[in-house]
Amino acid sequence: MKFLCIPCDEKMETQVDGIMPEEKKNLVMKFKCKKCGHSIAMLTNKFETEFVSKLGVQVNTTAAEAAGTPLGVVSGALAEGKEELKKGAPTEEDIEWTEDAKERIQRVPFFVRNMAKKTVLSFAKERGITVIDGKLMDEVREKVGM
Amino acid sequence: MKTYEDIAGDGGSNIIEQVEALGEKLRARLDRIKYKVALMSGKGGVGKSSLTANVAACLVDKGHSVGILDADLNGPSICHLLGVKNSHKLIIDDRGVQPGVGSHNIKLMSMDMLLSSPDSPVMWTEEADATAVWVSTMESTALRELVADTDWGDLDFLLIDMPPGSDRIDNIRSLIPELAGVVEITIPSPLSQHIVSKSITKNNKMKVPIIGLVENMAGYTCPHCEKEGPLFEGEDVENLAKQKNIPYLGKIPFDTRIGRKTDSGSLYYMDNKGSVTGKAINSVVEKILESIK
Repeated sequence: MKFLCIPCDEKMETQVDGIMPEEKKNLVMKFKCKKCGHSIAMLTNKFETEFVSKLGVQVNTTAAEAAGTPLGVVSGALAEGKEELKKGAPTEEDIEWTEDAKERIQRVPFFVRNMAKKTVLSFAKERGITVIDGKLMDEVREKVGM
Repeated sequence: MKTYEDIAGDGGSNIIEQVEALGEKLRARLDRIKYKVALMSGKGGVGKSSLTANVAACLVDKGHSVGILDADLNGPSICHLLGVKNSHKLIIDDRGVQPGVGSHNIKLMSMDMLLSSPDSPVMWTEEADATAVWVSTMESTALRELVADTDWGDLDFLLIDMPPGSDRIDNIRSLIPELAGVVEITIPSPLSQHIVSKSITKNNKMKVPIIGLVENMAGYTCPHCEKEGPLFEGEDVENLAKQKNIPYLGKIPFDTRIGRKTDSGSLYYMDNKGSVTGKAINSVVEKILESIK
């Protein structure tokens, strides 16, 4: 799917830092026209996101990253998986996630979870925050997301 | 105004490239495996997994390298049968996930290897309020990852231990279009034959190659005196094969020892090749080999 800015006749770009998926499986993605700066949001419901997930792809991930992450989907979605499976997920050793924040990130659809995690980690890192909690995640959604 | 084709790429999601890359990875794995054979039955409890493990042992005994993919995601049993414990440490590196190595150097991959404890169920994080569509989707994705991300290396045979029912063959067929075929397994009971008959019909309609039909638990063999007796009352399974126009691969008598390893740590077949049941397994394997080669 591609989005076109009609007045500029230009392709709208996916906003890497502006994507914050809603929890509970509804996905929000933001696109922006580089020329005029106009932004739009694509909103999908959980049934629509399920179709994407069947392809085994992850949003905002390169082909090399997707193919180079063994058991990438299973590791993110298996509720009682071994510790070794969790290595592929983005982490920052000096940043701690509270239980509440961990639970909330787990509620993000698995195929955008790593991307959401990266967004939150980057938000925290830029501000020198070392503990990610539910309040911070609300702030991320407010400022970075929709 | 620009059209879809005028805009390069796919909108920023890289979905096309990702799907292509995943397809290439899967192909690279499968190209190193000569024959892929699925063992299935529409009916549960007919001894698919025990038979799969012993067919694998028989193939190893004939000098082949063998792997088993446990496609029964929710009821995995191959680890148990081949002696790979839950404490087995997963090794994940750039090449993928290293398979478990069970009895007789049979490689295997199973959901059991991914779970944190022996009694952990296969549950998905979203499952609590997930739709049936989502769970089904997740299982398809998991199966693809188990096939494509396991570093099987070079194998002569990959046996696929299918779950009960005939729905998962759709996934396997799309993942492994070059499937050498499926071995259908039934027990003599009319109920089992009734259900397996549907599975055969479906495979015929989908043009999935069927290697043949195995009659498992066809009578009881006493492990002490090897005297045989009936175990299930049922119609002649060979007739079902004739009706469906598929080869009948033979009957395998039930032996109480078949589902467990022997004292030496071997699978049943290895230590009991000369038994009635051992000979029957060998005969079935010979027919499978004749069919696919």
